[in-house]
Amino acid sequence: MQREKSEAAKVSMNVNGKQVSGSVEPRTLLVNFIRDDLGLTGTHVGCDTGHCGACTVMMNGKTVKSCMVLAVQARGAEILTVEGLAQGDKLHPIQEAFWKNHGLQCGFCTPGLLMSGLYLLRRNPDPTDKEIRRSIEGNLCRCTGYVNVVKSVRAAANSMRKGGEGGA
Amino acid sequence: MTPKSFDYYAPASLDEAIRLLGENDEAKVIAGGQSLLPMMKLRLAAPTALVDITKLPDLSYVREEGDHLAIGALTTHDAVEHNRTVKERFAAIDDAVVRIGDQQVRNLGTIGGSACHADPAADLPTALLVSDAQFVIRGRGGQRVVPAREFFVDVFATAVGHDEILTEIRMAYAPPRSASAYVKHSLREADFGIAMVGAAVTVGDGNVCKDVRISLGSAGPTPLRATSSEQHLKGKVVDDENVAKAAELAVEGADPPSDVHGSREYRLEMIKALTRRSLKLALGRVK
Amino acid sequence: MTLSVTTSKHREEAPEGRVEDKRLLTGKGRFVDDLKLDGQAYMGLVRSPYAHAKINSIDFSKARSSPDFIASLTGEDLLKEGVQPLSQNPWPFQKRAKRYHLAVGKARFAGEPVAAILVRNKNSIEDLIELVDVDYESLPVVTTIEESKQGKAIVYEDWGTNASLTSEVKKGDAEKAIASAAFVINAKEGIARQVAAPIEPHAVLVAYDGKQDAYDVWATVQSVHGTRDKLASELKKPKEKFHVRVMDMGGGFGSKGAQSYPEAPLACIFARRTGLPVKWTATRSEEFLEAAAGRDEYCEITLACDENGRMVALKASVECDSGVTGSQAHMPTMTIETMSGPYRIPNQDITVAAYVTNKMPLGPVRGAGGPEGCYFIERAVDSLAKKMGLDPIEFRRRNVSRREGPGEGEADFGLLLDTLVKSSRYEELSRWRTDMYSKFRQQGPSHSSVLGGLGVSVTGSNESEDEEEEDDWSGRPSGGAGAGAESKPWQTGGGTGEKWAGQPSGEPKAAWPPGGSDKPWSGKNSGESAEKRTWPGASEETLGFMSETARVTIDKDGKVKVYTGSSPHGQGEETTFAQLASEELGVSLENVTVVWGDTVLIPRGIGTFGSRSAATGGSAVVDASRKLKAQLIAKASEVLGVDAKSLDMRSEGFVRSSDPDVVLATLSDVLLKQRADEVSSSSVFTLSGLSYSSGVHLCALTLDVELGKVKIAKYVVVEDCGRMINKTIVEGQLHGGVMHAVGGALFEKLAYDDQGNLLSSTFMDYNIPTALDSPDVQVFHQITPSTVTLDGVKGVGESGTNGSYAAVINALNDALSQVGTGAEVNMAPATPDAIFRALSPGGVKALPPA
Repeated sequence: MQREKSEAAKVSMNVNGKQVSGSVEPRTLLVNFIRDDLGLTGTHVGCDTGHCGACTVMMNGKTVKSCMVLAVQARGAEILTVEGLAQGDKLHPIQEAFWKNHGLQCGFCTPGLLMSGLYLLRRNPDPTDKEIRRSIEGNLCRCTGYVNVVKSVRAAANSMRKGGEGGA
Repeated sequence: MTPKSFDYYAPASLDEAIRLLGENDEAKVIAGGQSLLPMMKLRLAAPTALVDITKLPDLSYVREEGDHLAIGALTTHDAVEHNRTVKERFAAIDDAVVRIGDQQVRNLGTIGGSACHADPAADLPTALLVSDAQFVIRGRGGQRVVPAREFFVDVFATAVGHDEILTEIRMAYAPPRSASAYVKHSLREADFGIAMVGAAVTVGDGNVCKDVRISLGSAGPTPLRATSSEQHLKGKVVDDENVAKAAELAVEGADPPSDVHGSREYRLEMIKALTRRSLKLALGRVK
Repeated sequence: MTLSVTTSKHREEAPEGRVEDKRLLTGKGRFVDDLKLDGQAYMGLVRSPYAHAKINSIDFSKARSSPDFIASLTGEDLLKEGVQPLSQNPWPFQKRAKRYHLAVGKARFAGEPVAAILVRNKNSIEDLIELVDVDYESLPVVTTIEESKQGKAIVYEDWGTNASLTSEVKKGDAEKAIASAAFVINAKEGIARQVAAPIEPHAVLVAYDGKQDAYDVWATVQSVHGTRDKLASELKKPKEKFHVRVMDMGGGFGSKGAQSYPEAPLACIFARRTGLPVKWTATRSEEFLEAAAGRDEYCEITLACDENGRMVALKASVECDSGVTGSQAHMPTMTIETMSGPYRIPNQDITVAAYVTNKMPLGPVRGAGGPEGCYFIERAVDSLAKKMGLDPIEFRRRNVSRREGPGEGEADFGLLLDTLVKSSRYEELSRWRTDMYSKFRQQGPSHSSVLGGLGVSVTGSNESEDEEEEDDWSGRPSGGAGAGAESKPWQTGGGTGEKWAGQPSGEPKAAWPPGGSDKPWSGKNSGESAEKRTWPGASEETLGFMSETARVTIDKDGKVKVYTGSSPHGQGEETTFAQLASEELGVSLENVTVVWGDTVLIPRGIGTFGSRSAATGGSAVVDASRKLKAQLIAKASEVLGVDAKSLDMRSEGFVRSSDPDVVLATLSDVLLKQRADEVSSSSVFTLSGLSYSSGVHLCALTLDVELGKVKIAKYVVVEDCGRMINKTIVEGQLHGGVMHAVGGALFEKLAYDDQGNLLSSTFMDYNIPTALDSPDVQVFHQITPSTVTLDGVKGVGESGTNGSYAAVINALNDALSQVGTGAEVNMAPATPDAIFRALSPGGVKALPPA
């Protein structure tokens, strides 16, 4: 059994295909481990109560709000953050779709949205607009009014149905 | 935004978890954490130790067991949402689980966690009450089963003792010509309910109500059974008039709060409206 | 009549996606909280839990005993250091509200910082905040305008009153006109206190250089120059000591603009005292507690028209709860000055009064007084139309200002309305509405019936064709009379509607050290001088709200850099300004880089807010680019010995205009011969008049009568923002702007208890629209080029918000009117509870029988 005193806990996990480890307090949130310890600042913090979704990452293939997960709970997990989507210079189809369809304005909520959108499309490759909106219900955006976000996810769906995640 | 400090344990067995809880009055169980962590981050809750039970084996399942469905306490909302038997035979649970939070919350939040957190404004407790669920609780002395009507004790408080852990939720299959429903009225789709009503009915010959359960959420410190409504409807023909009368009676015993999400007067009216709608929805599903 | 849309190079060549997106999509955005400096320490703010309380003592001893504690500050410390109060730029008729970065003597709103601490560990911030003991003595509070008027407590003792601002707009004789009007309505309307709620909270990072006694400041601000100037004046140091920067920013919507916040100066003080870099990031709760709120305006309105439906009089009295006020609380005056919108109403008597209360300051929130003004009149217009029995669109047609033909005025409202009717398929919507009504009558409320509602609004200017009418305006607050400037309302890149006359006559001021040969911009109206209303933090050269700076450089490889005083945070200027320069100079977009948000690289600028960037900033970029091109052609002319007038510039090089396929010399040839590595040109562009965006909105919604639940089924905007640099970006601005007001119309409210404690301090209690609550927004366009900006562009950031409260609430009331009980909702947010109350005290019971 793992038993950690409040001062320090060792964690290790796989982030974007790489094994990483660090020393955190049990109360350290996964999002802060990702941002501060790993320097992956693409995942953002927008609120205190897990409502805005800007911190959404994939943990073991499922979208989670990384501000609502303790780093210690993510031990041994496979984490995918926005930095892990593109292959070198080649954008992931969903990133490409957001780019072509003006699915972002200030970009702060975008990494979380990309994750939620991707998670949906991996489970449901041809979603309705209602299903798209429901899948991003937990990602707040104040800039776009979601109109072009939905358009972008739809475009990503079309593109991924043709060419998978390697891109169309 | 940062919780107060705590020790963290991830026991490998249920017994170990129970023992840890017994050793520390201020220790708390954490499962999905989707309700507990926001409270800790706002410092409304400050347990000095967390006992993480998510690594415990064999607590996540949905099993058909003869006369009832058994759902492991660690089954996520997403897993419940995608379970065919739940959809087909426990519509109230299905109606409720799709309204919980958002996808991210449903990916981590568990049915056991939601039940034990016992927020009267949450979706599952009301739906579990109307489904007449049984709660299997393990403690030092062994196992006991508590019915829904005794399980929810107060706001954020259940029959689960400090050093006990909920392991399973059981719901008996309803007899033929039964159906259930759960309706929720909220400001935004994602919000806690201003009012929620669950209804479960069994209809007999002559369209007479053989059995009925009606549960109310956001109507008091715990989900409530609308017993006056139930008493009125039982044995009567389930026509519009009786359903409307049952809806009127639903507020008896209800004690909804007044807060930023809705005033008390409004909530009382909504209870009536939703009771009618929930009954009609359930009755419409009876085959 | 169709406007012939002048083809715009901009639109044809708009890129497929924005320049800034690549880094934002791959997690390489550079937001302030992403920045990290070695050894950085963390600031925490101790906030008053009381809305109004004397501060008797502050004890840090418990906090000090922690190994994570580094330093502390109180208001008294600030006084000892000679720190100046939070900057204010109240308009002349408003009182100065003196507050410090940490409360001195007493706290005036729940959440006001009373002490600051510096800690080593990010995780310890809140632990140590809790260890600071403050002894408060609570005082009576004023949490409403009524209480404030009664003077239950006085927020600023030296004022002796809580009244902070009054203003008026008067024209003709409203009383007389109302008395003899054919139709009159009275209404009480209002919009509750709401917030901008950008998803990125405020943050600041400061590093101090002891040798230079200089500060490196990264901050979430819409104007680095304004922030620099505030720091300089508050900390009493020369401006050059502050290098203020911002890179990416997660939205502002006004809340990161003109408001003076305490964190940057406090962080500077800590940084100087300890030598450590200091970081501070607001939690969302802090964001709710302290970030400037908006709206909180209430209006008693009387609107009158003749028997033909032509409005004859508008009488309105607006009251505003301005909290403890901030450095920018002009919203109430904006409201009354924009209220008559696109209508020509000959008799007007509009007054506004603002009161201070024990709540966080009021500041600009997307629209900044404009949405409120539009809402107040558009609700009244609908009510008046209904009273008259006239279709609401027809009523508006009869009242919007006319013009003779294309190119005149700011928009053709008649055409906008026509287009709205067509594009929204209004007749189909009317049938949809009628069908639902029939069903409702048949079934009655017991069948969960739903009614359809249609609501329309118009936003824009009330330009006057008749100049004499303009001169009838009297009793306006101080301001000059610039000849020919159009009157206020929906302006972009403007101000409060004072008649700006652009740059003062006389010598131009050189915008930049060596390089530019700046001729004065002599557009319209450069003759008269108007009172120079300086923007908070404007530089000593008094760059005003109507101005912006740009410097454009090109090197011998043809790489162009555009330095702008604007500060994009989602609006896309990194792309649109590059488009402008690329088109003017004939270079390809990928060779243009836009630089912003750096007070060293860009010594003067104003910033991005108030829908001004495309108008002022864009014009400055175009101006500087044209000047640069002229310079380059002059150089080429010298080198080639060819008359400059016959030359043009392409990406390949210099050509004769008459024979563009033959390159006479490349850029690098010319620069080499001229011994120049780089050529630059700059502009300080000032609009000679105001520039308005206009639009018409339509909202179609369903109302579940029993529950009071609204769902928007369709939302259409026909907008006119002049020439569009990038149509997709314009539409994005409309989508977001509309949604912001949909939230405000239906969900959002800062709720307080009677002691002034904020109850809505999380996203759970303050509900902004999610994707499931948001309708699809369809945007259609007309183009009436601006006559005061270069290239006819107007700003568009707030247009969506301006019209939406009205469209949504009008649609709701249209649905309510069909219930037949006379129920009306005039207060936003129109929550289900509010709708329920309006329908009847008994709710469902009082509905008419089927």
